[in-house]
Amino acid sequence: MRKPYSKFFARTDVPLKGPRFLQLPWRSRARIARDIDIELSFHLEMRVAELTAQGMSAADAARRAREEFGDLELTRAYCRTMDESTDRTARISDHVADWRQDLRYAIRTLRRSAGFAAASLLTLALALGANTAIFSVAHSVLLEPLPYGRPESLVALHETRATSPSERYQLSPANFFDFRAQQRSFTGIAAYNGAPFTWLPDNGDPQFLFASSVTANMFDVLGVRALHGRTFAAGDDAPGKDRQVVLSYGFWERALGGNPAVVGTRMTLSGRTYDVVGVMPRGFTLGTNEDLWVPMDLSEAMADAVRSRKQHYLRAIARIDTRTTLERAGADVSAIARRLAAQYPEANTGLDALAVPLHESMTGKLRPALLLLQGAAAIVLLIACANIANLTLSRTMGRRREMAVRAALGAGRARLARQLLAESLVLAFAGGVIGVGVAVVATRTLLALNPDTLPSMFTATVDGGVLLFSLVLTVGIGLLMGLVPALHVARVDPQESLKEGERGTSQGRGGERVRRVLVVAQVGLAVMLLIGAGLLVRSFRELTRVQLGFDPDRVLTAQLRAGGERYDSPDAVNRFYDRVLDEIAHGPGVAAAGAVTILPTRGSVGSSVRVEGEPVDEANIPEIRYLAVRRDFFKALRIPLKAGREFDASDAADGPKTVLINEAAERRFFPRGDALGRRIRIGPDPNGEPMTIVGVVGDIRAEGFAVPVPPTLFANHRRETWERSLAVVIRTSGDPASATPVLRRAVKSADPTLAIRDVRTLDDVIGSSLAPRRFALGLVASFAGIALLLATIGIYGVLSYAVASRTREFGVRLALGATERSILLLVLRQGLAWSLFGLAVGVGGALASGRLLSRMLYGVQPLDSTTYVGVVGGLVVVVAAACLVPSLRATRVDPIQSMHVR
Amino acid sequence: MKPTPPEMLQGTVDILVLRALAWDSMHGYAISRWLAARSDGVLTVDGAALYQALHRLARRKWVTSSWGLSENNRKAKYYTLTSAGHAQLRTESATWTSYAEAVFKVLRPN
Repeated sequence: MRKPYSKFFARTDVPLKGPRFLQLPWRSRARIARDIDIELSFHLEMRVAELTAQGMSAADAARRAREEFGDLELTRAYCRTMDESTDRTARISDHVADWRQDLRYAIRTLRRSAGFAAASLLTLALALGANTAIFSVAHSVLLEPLPYGRPESLVALHETRATSPSERYQLSPANFFDFRAQQRSFTGIAAYNGAPFTWLPDNGDPQFLFASSVTANMFDVLGVRALHGRTFAAGDDAPGKDRQVVLSYGFWERALGGNPAVVGTRMTLSGRTYDVVGVMPRGFTLGTNEDLWVPMDLSEAMADAVRSRKQHYLRAIARIDTRTTLERAGADVSAIARRLAAQYPEANTGLDALAVPLHESMTGKLRPALLLLQGAAAIVLLIACANIANLTLSRTMGRRREMAVRAALGAGRARLARQLLAESLVLAFAGGVIGVGVAVVATRTLLALNPDTLPSMFTATVDGGVLLFSLVLTVGIGLLMGLVPALHVARVDPQESLKEGERGTSQGRGGERVRRVLVVAQVGLAVMLLIGAGLLVRSFRELTRVQLGFDPDRVLTAQLRAGGERYDSPDAVNRFYDRVLDEIAHGPGVAAAGAVTILPTRGSVGSSVRVEGEPVDEANIPEIRYLAVRRDFFKALRIPLKAGREFDASDAADGPKTVLINEAAERRFFPRGDALGRRIRIGPDPNGEPMTIVGVVGDIRAEGFAVPVPPTLFANHRRETWERSLAVVIRTSGDPASATPVLRRAVKSADPTLAIRDVRTLDDVIGSSLAPRRFALGLVASFAGIALLLATIGIYGVLSYAVASRTREFGVRLALGATERSILLLVLRQGLAWSLFGLAVGVGGALASGRLLSRMLYGVQPLDSTTYVGVVGGLVVVVAAACLVPSLRATRVDPIQSMHVR
Repeated sequence: MKPTPPEMLQGTVDILVLRALAWDSMHGYAISRWLAARSDGVLTVDGAALYQALHRLARRKWVTSSWGLSENNRKAKYYTLTSAGHAQLRTESATWTSYAEAVFKVLRPN
């Protein structure tokens, strides 16, 4: 029926419905317009009714009411604009209010279930912390540019073998000069080489400094300028002009108080005087955190035509000409290398050369390790996600009644899901904040403990990029772990839940299935990570043991020199070293003490060698490396004795000289394995005193990993006392530094005037080459530990929940006569079945992905059965323990009590 | 009935409407009746000004509205003063009173 005064509103096309007393929270534009029309027409109708009651005709009353009202159209438009704006703000503030309510509610709920919140927070903090920490390192190493001018056009030049391009050598001086003269792709090629110095400050003890000698053009090629003074100028590396030094910012600040006036002064390095010409800006380094740089005078090295071509020790950096490309530059150096190979076949046969981007050359070794670590951290994150989804899901099942009540009271599914999302986001953010804190502390601590891990130009800091990474991760996790229960809620029928809730028995089948899948996934991932970590641990042990040939762990070393007139007789030298080593060996915490002329990896001296009874080609006398050792040198370094015996008292006196050789020497000179008892002579004199071989020891690496172990001879230092300097090696049972006072006391009591130099751990001496591996290994191992812990918690949690929700069933079973044992087995079987399935999945995954690891492994097959068996066995034990507790709880169910459980 | 004088300002209508709602919820028509009765027919606010004021006040959250049934069983929009509206009424009344007193003082024949 048409309302009498709707003619005032001819434009109203929205039909009027019955009265609505409940206002919707938000109205559409049409709805707003209609409401205003209803309101205004009511006003007019009331006025018309009043006027007609006073006796006015209907038509007059209507006209009068219209006139009195004023501008109707304007008012309608005005009210619409007002109401639309009101609604908009209401909508926004309603959203905000809803979220705030969700947030408040989430925090309150989480506070109520403190155990759940704590477990989730811990899990999240560990996982996010690990990921953030690794990312901050990876970000700095793999993504940040090097601190040089236009670093993208810098390359490292390597020599390599045409047959095995993965081997990379440094350049020999002669080849370096030829590359420099013949190349047409670079604006400059520079070279550097490590050059340690002892610095004698004006006051204070001598200091050992790390330095590099560089060609004069190094700083120009790198495109860097000095902070104070200058860098080297062309010709500064010429003979006689090389007594100049450029200081690093760190050394300048630390040792010289950051005083710019040092430029122009002189300093004494290893007994020679150098002019200080400049100081480099903060952060500049060639990658080894040098204290200073000196010019490299290669004229002396070049004087020996043979050696200068054969000894490869120069690291070369070149800047590619802007007019050419990396490929063309690579082809250029390769062509030069081939020409040199033809020209100098005896030294260069088979040698090739390549140009590698400097960034890749400096980070190449770190890249796979970092990617591996990031992968391991990601697995931890996945496990953490599964764990938290699991915890949240268990909790959601427990809250089904609450959710059902809220749904019955009118909360939509979307609203409930949003509530759950809010809870998970709150948790994730809290976890993320703690995680970033953990990451900051962890990276700083780890890098402080392992200073050699990263080339010093890379500073792992938690900056904006890293924070963004963590934020994305955190939000992702929050959504993910909220989504599982949220989706679950969306499927739940509130009526069913309420009915079930009253019975308080069975659990939702869907949730159960999801949780099982999560447990299987968790165990599977943990197994993969554990196997990976196991392989790496074994590989590292192979590397340190087999590759080094000795065990550098817990060994303290120091340099001693029995110098001066008092040590002019062999007896005096022997008395001194015997006394020192004896006293050290009997010191507290010392397992073995010995001494050697040159520490492993620090090089060796060579000598010609003649084997008695073998024909000698006088034009080509073979060489052997020569070392003299005392006391328990082999025991202290755990170098295995392969045949014969070590030196003993019978070798001490005036009898025939005895020696030990390494396996490389045995293979080289005694291929039939008949070395023991044979006699050799060393030195240029073919009729020198013969030495009898009494033992063969394992090979030890004297140089880098790429160089084969040379044949080596170990003489008895008691008979070779002309070498006055020895490096003491002390194996300790605890912290090697704790042997320092023992060492000092021993030397002081034997001769108080003698100095002890370079007291360092052997790890430290050889350390830098192994530090990154050890660092990565420690991290992967701890990730694997975290993964195992999380997976165990996951299994335990799920099984505990399953037991709790089946209390009544167990009660019934027990009441009906089931034995405790059968209940125990029932639960145990269930838990183990999931875990073993996960285990199988994990082993499958590890087998499939083993090849990814193979590049990181040394001396261990990716399918190493020992690792697999060990991990699987260990995990079964841990899992069984995790299952046992809830299983035992199931047997303790009181049948009567259980009936009352709601 | 005289039409609303043109100098009747927006702010004036607003405070009159707030005052009208001070004790009870009302619909727009009732407010206009109340104002006319209260001022002995001197102050009459036309419909346009009244409804614009009401929706403006709702926008400022000084009044809220809800649908209800009128005396003659018609659907009508009822307005209620919020606590912010009460506060506004108090301050505006004080300002207005002192203003009116000042004007009165000036106009008073000596």
